[in-house]
Amino acid sequence: MGDTELELSPAQLEELQQSPSASSNSSTSSLSLPSSPSSGTRPLTSSSPSTSEGLPTSSPPLDVISEGVGELSLVIDTEVAKKACQEVLQKVKFLKADGEVSSASSEPVLVNGTAHPESTDGGKPPKISQEEAEPVKNVRRRQKNNSSKQSWLLRLFESKLFDISMAISYLYNSKEPGVQAYIGNRLFSFRNEEVDFYLPQLLNMYIHMDEDVGDAIKPYVVYRCRQSINFSLQCAWLLGAYSSDMHISTQRHSRGTKLRKLILSDELKPSSQRIRREVPQPPPSCPPPLHHGQGMSEHSLSPSKRTHQRSKSDATVSISLSSNLKRTASNPKVETSQDEDLSSSSDSLTLEAGTPVRLTPQREFIKSLMGIGKRLATLPTKEQKTQRLISELSLLNHKLPARVWLPTAAFDHHVVRVPHTQAVVLNSKDKAPYLIYVEVLECENFETSSVPVRIPETRIRSTRSVENLPDCGITPDQRASSFSTVPIYDNDDEAWSVDDIGELQVELPEIHTNSYDNISQFSVDSITSQESKEPIFIAAGDIRRRLSEQLAHTPTTFKRDPEDPSAVALKEPWQEKVRRIREGSPYGHLPNWRLLSVIVKCGDDLRQELLAYQVLKQLQIIWEQERVPLWIKPYKILVISSDSGMIEPVVNAVSIHQVKKQSQLLLLDYFRQEHGDYNTEEFLTAQRNFVQSCAGYCLICYLLQVKDRHNGNILLDSEGHIIHIDFGFILSSSPRNLGFETSAFKLTSEFVDVMGGLDGDMFNYYKMLMLQGLIAARKHMEKVIQIVEIMQQGSQLPCFHGSSTIRNLKERFHMNLTEEQLQVLVEQMVDGSMRSITTKLYDGFQYLTNGIM
Amino acid sequence: MAQTEKKAGLLRRTSSSKKPLKEKVLLMYEDIFTKEDPTKSNPRFWDELFLMKVNLEHLEGKLEALDGDEVVKIRDNINSLFHHCVQALAEEHQIKVVNALQTLCALFRGVHQKNKSATGFDIINMLMGFDKAELRMKELMESLDSLLCGDGSESLKSLCLKLLLCLVTVTDNISQNTILEYVMINSIFEAILQILSDVSSRARHGYDAVVLLALLVNYRKYESVNPYIVKLSIVDDEPTLDGLGRVIHHALAEYNRQYKEKEEENQGGFFSTLTSMVGSMFIADADEKLSVQTNEAILLALYEAVHLNRNFITVLAQSHPEIDIATAPAVPIPASPTTPLGTTPPSLDMMNNPELPLDPNLQTSNLLITFLKYSSIVMQDTKDEHRLNSARLCLIILTCIAEDQYADAFLHDDNMNFRVNLHRMPMRHRKKAVDKSIPSRPLVCAVLDLMVEFIVTHMMKEFPMDLYVRCVQIIHKLICYQKKCRVRIHYTWRELWSALINLLKFLLSNETSLLSKHNIFQLALQVVNLFNMFITYGDTFLPTPSSYDELYYEIIRMHQVFDNLYCMVLRVSANAGPWKEPASKVTQALVNARAIINHFNPKIESYATVNHISQLSEDQVLEVVRTNYDTLTLKLQDGLDQFERYSEQPREAGFFKELVRSISLNVRKNVSLSTMSQDVLLKEFSSIS
Repeated sequence: MGDTELELSPAQLEELQQSPSASSNSSTSSLSLPSSPSSGTRPLTSSSPSTSEGLPTSSPPLDVISEGVGELSLVIDTEVAKKACQEVLQKVKFLKADGEVSSASSEPVLVNGTAHPESTDGGKPPKISQEEAEPVKNVRRRQKNNSSKQSWLLRLFESKLFDISMAISYLYNSKEPGVQAYIGNRLFSFRNEEVDFYLPQLLNMYIHMDEDVGDAIKPYVVYRCRQSINFSLQCAWLLGAYSSDMHISTQRHSRGTKLRKLILSDELKPSSQRIRREVPQPPPSCPPPLHHGQGMSEHSLSPSKRTHQRSKSDATVSISLSSNLKRTASNPKVETSQDEDLSSSSDSLTLEAGTPVRLTPQREFIKSLMGIGKRLATLPTKEQKTQRLISELSLLNHKLPARVWLPTAAFDHHVVRVPHTQAVVLNSKDKAPYLIYVEVLECENFETSSVPVRIPETRIRSTRSVENLPDCGITPDQRASSFSTVPIYDNDDEAWSVDDIGELQVELPEIHTNSYDNISQFSVDSITSQESKEPIFIAAGDIRRRLSEQLAHTPTTFKRDPEDPSAVALKEPWQEKVRRIREGSPYGHLPNWRLLSVIVKCGDDLRQELLAYQVLKQLQIIWEQERVPLWIKPYKILVISSDSGMIEPVVNAVSIHQVKKQSQLLLLDYFRQEHGDYNTEEFLTAQRNFVQSCAGYCLICYLLQVKDRHNGNILLDSEGHIIHIDFGFILSSSPRNLGFETSAFKLTSEFVDVMGGLDGDMFNYYKMLMLQGLIAARKHMEKVIQIVEIMQQGSQLPCFHGSSTIRNLKERFHMNLTEEQLQVLVEQMVDGSMRSITTKLYDGFQYLTNGIM
Repeated sequence: MAQTEKKAGLLRRTSSSKKPLKEKVLLMYEDIFTKEDPTKSNPRFWDELFLMKVNLEHLEGKLEALDGDEVVKIRDNINSLFHHCVQALAEEHQIKVVNALQTLCALFRGVHQKNKSATGFDIINMLMGFDKAELRMKELMESLDSLLCGDGSESLKSLCLKLLLCLVTVTDNISQNTILEYVMINSIFEAILQILSDVSSRARHGYDAVVLLALLVNYRKYESVNPYIVKLSIVDDEPTLDGLGRVIHHALAEYNRQYKEKEEENQGGFFSTLTSMVGSMFIADADEKLSVQTNEAILLALYEAVHLNRNFITVLAQSHPEIDIATAPAVPIPASPTTPLGTTPPSLDMMNNPELPLDPNLQTSNLLITFLKYSSIVMQDTKDEHRLNSARLCLIILTCIAEDQYADAFLHDDNMNFRVNLHRMPMRHRKKAVDKSIPSRPLVCAVLDLMVEFIVTHMMKEFPMDLYVRCVQIIHKLICYQKKCRVRIHYTWRELWSALINLLKFLLSNETSLLSKHNIFQLALQVVNLFNMFITYGDTFLPTPSSYDELYYEIIRMHQVFDNLYCMVLRVSANAGPWKEPASKVTQALVNARAIINHFNPKIESYATVNHISQLSEDQVLEVVRTNYDTLTLKLQDGLDQFERYSEQPREAGFFKELVRSISLNVRKNVSLSTMSQDVLLKEFSSIS
């Protein structure tokens, strides 16, 4: 750490040296300077003892920014460096004065100031805030030097209206390095989630746009990487994915690749100060009783109390110790948390040794999931794939719990178990995407909360072992404890959620056997019934009737089909699945237990999906803002590389193809089967949901030109919403360029039937919703266009094929039309789609080629 | 360096001159067998001794040849030899370690051979001396432990295990081997576990380690505290348990593979039809038998793991890919169980190395499936005592599994479907099932298939009553689980029903011959009660309403069997005698079956007369059944869904004692073979040093 710093600061000096000399005193030159703001103070502080010692503790988060620059390793001219330093000093002074005078400019300073003190300690903050204020100052200067237009711009930037979307837009459109640098700094003032939404755009700009934009973005990215493992990995994955379209030779040396390497090398770990501050204090209200040293020891007792492990820990401490040690030796991940706790409490030097663990578990986890997908693809049949998937996942389970998480989830958690038998292979011709369910324990912060302790699969089971050990040196009361599984979970223990009345029933005779009792064969019930000697008679007809009734009462499930294993799994209501898996899970009794699911895609490029997600999300926000009741369901996408990723599955939804194949009904009849007859409230609700979602997705399909709309790509959820999935063909790309699907969107007569026919009120409502939606979307067109446009930079994605992608997209918003004209347009599109033979033709084509109905 | 040359020279001399008497080592042995302290003449005697290649036979022979008085006289020297052996184990020079290990082996064996009748204490006294025994054995076990756990040579580890196996099996009855008391005190359990948890060492030594563990667990199992039992029962480290499972899996799979190969060979032959008629004749092959016997040890280990360790059950369901024998016969799988497992990749470094073999022909399998296949082979022929024992042990293991909640859960898991190709005995009256047609089903179906298969194939003169009882118990336990948890498996229950009815028929027709040896009423009662389960609780676990109709159809169709059985038990219970009570229990249990028959038969007859049909079709009978349920009343029997849990003691203790004895003999025989051929080992070390 110290080495790099010493190495770098000269380079930064070089940077300083360059900027003034290169372009005399023009405003742009001074503007370009702050693009590496930290360079200003670094040479100054280098004389101070703290930096010269190279203590990592004193390094502000921004210092690593310069590492990329450092690789230039130019020779330093000390003279020039000195001059540069003086210049910077002057500027700082100037800024101070300026800051006092203008209250407007001080606002961002403050914002930045609050964003940073975490990373700095003691007397440093003022200096830092100065550093960071520099770009602002530069803007101010430019404002003085330049035209008034820029002052308006600055006013805009500082106004409350200035949101992240605008920031991204200006970052992308402005050619002024100063503006870019300002916005780069301004990023710190937005909420993390706001910026996260635009992360693909930011990183794509970083990779494919000029130096200045990159320099403006980098500090922010680096800062966030230091804060969060999740962010680090997201960045690394996206950087890799978006760099992949570059030529291999340029790619290797591109800034994107360098930043990716930097992140993955884990140089961007949080400075030790932060760790010290955050880790030792246990997270205040973490729901599970298990965190940190104390919690760990508590926990190691709690799950075992009711089981045999208790006798283990009591009877043979030495053995359990040794076996525990072995476990940790062979499974370092379990230890991770302890390692970290240890290192945090000890010197910062030991921390360095411990940190490679920071990103590793999660990367390995993802790698394992991807590896499974790759291997599945080689198997010929669905059945083999499913079996293999289950077995592979059961192996994966051995490594859990670990400090790993699903990035698609909305809360912090640790993955504790993959219920492997629940996983299913999804329908795909040659790839092997699969859906897994993942049991997680919610936690305060997945980086600092300790990893839950593993609970064996067979946690609640009769303990036959001991009964056969007549005199094993186990004291009587211990033995008693191991027999009576129930009374043992005493007050401090969590109640277990398991249906163990049945368990008891089997347990009781066991006690009898041990006492060699004659009546061992009979449960308590049968003994009493025997005593009464009253024979019980039952009617055969009742048994037969109960049998048929019970079978009839099971809800409409889909039949198990080895060729379509996902249908059954997806049809099962989510809540029911959660309950079922929770019951079967050794972790199910924990209050912070949650079930998540994720689709792992291997061999598929999800970058377009991500783009579609962003557009959908943006439109959803717009429609919400404009109060248009359109319903769409953007599902989260995690791009891991240009050919792999994960998708958040839509729960409680099956594809229309599956619906039709399994039910053999028309869509309308299926609605009646699931929701009740026409005039029931349930049906009407479902119908309204259907209309609102249909209108939403029709607009999406039109605006994004979503193609490949066969019934396998349209889901129907349990509330009647339709959800389009698979955005593999959008904007300029279409499947095989066969010219199918020329209609604006897919609207079949079956859909219209569900909406109550062409003359129904609901159908008019549908058209009205579309019009409202289009008007609202048009109002905020820029926000939508921007997302797409930035991603086009440097991209080879098929959706950007040709030169007119963006222009065509803009045209579809029809800015020039009046609302009346728009209404006509909507009518035309609906008519056209309904009459469109191509939709039908395409469905027929899909049926022929892929067997999709 | 000089030592190496000297040793090399020695080796050459032994191999070329073929005059064993001139070997220096023999002369040195002579020195030991005198009353003098050998160090008197040669102070470096012990150092030199362990540089010589051990002559096991000679040393053993010498020990055996001693008579009573001599023993006492040279006891000091033998004690000393033992002492120095133990010391040599700590030597850096690996040749010394090897020689010391082998010498120890010869010592243990020779002394025991000599003193077959002697008490354990005499043996201990002779080997180590009473006063020193505890210390010596502690040192020995510690050395072995560190050799096994260290990073040393693999061959050395292997030799350590051989020595331990040798030590454990020196007596026929393991519980009489008093030296093992020290092995109990100075546990090497952890070392065994470590071998099993590590991928590479598991591959090389797993088999020996598992056999050793199985034997150690059986030392004075019923009389005293065996720490190995305690420790085995609480292991919860998954990689280790998985390792144990994989070793067992591999050994069983290897046997299955060999069997299948032979079977295919035979089928291709000219006399294929003949052989299949005679049955699995080739099983009588000598090597085949051998592998069955060695597998007894593995089966025992599986039993102990399943029975003692609650966490092991998960390992049973731990799937991993298995090479499909049919498609990949060319893959050379080493026959020796000690050779690397190769095909079963390590699960432990899954995260680091997520590569499982990438072969589309790989069938996913798990220990349970392999075990079921193995059982199906072993159960085919129970005439031979070893096979009978193996079959019995298989059924005991299945009993334990069927009792286990977790195991039942995954047996019935609808998401875990497998094709299990059980071996079916070739029989005249049925075709060999086409393997490919087997559907992918929950594992419990395979277990039930295996039970049905057993039931229909073992109705013979030498009636294996005990196995039948276990078999029916296993079915009962599974059904109890299904009833309790309301699991409806889609199984063709009809096959089971007809098998059970045929069994009753067999019992009836061989009543006299069977009654002389067995209590057939116990079995009959169990079978009838299984039917009572179906009749009265069918609503809770049968898959469809029509399957309930089929049950009635089957009972009505075979009503004669029930009628005859009723007559028979009525007759027997009428007479005073030992069978009075068991027979009358059967009478009571038959109430429902008889009620069904008496209720429906007249209805069917009248249906036939009304419709003028002489022979009713199945559908017609089912129709009558369906329409006449309501007028039938059944009696709820007591305790149908209760069963006695399996317990090894006291019922099975005798069986296991005998089993362990036979395994001991077998292991001893095989170990002696392998220890003799340690030339390879010596060469390895001579080249290293």
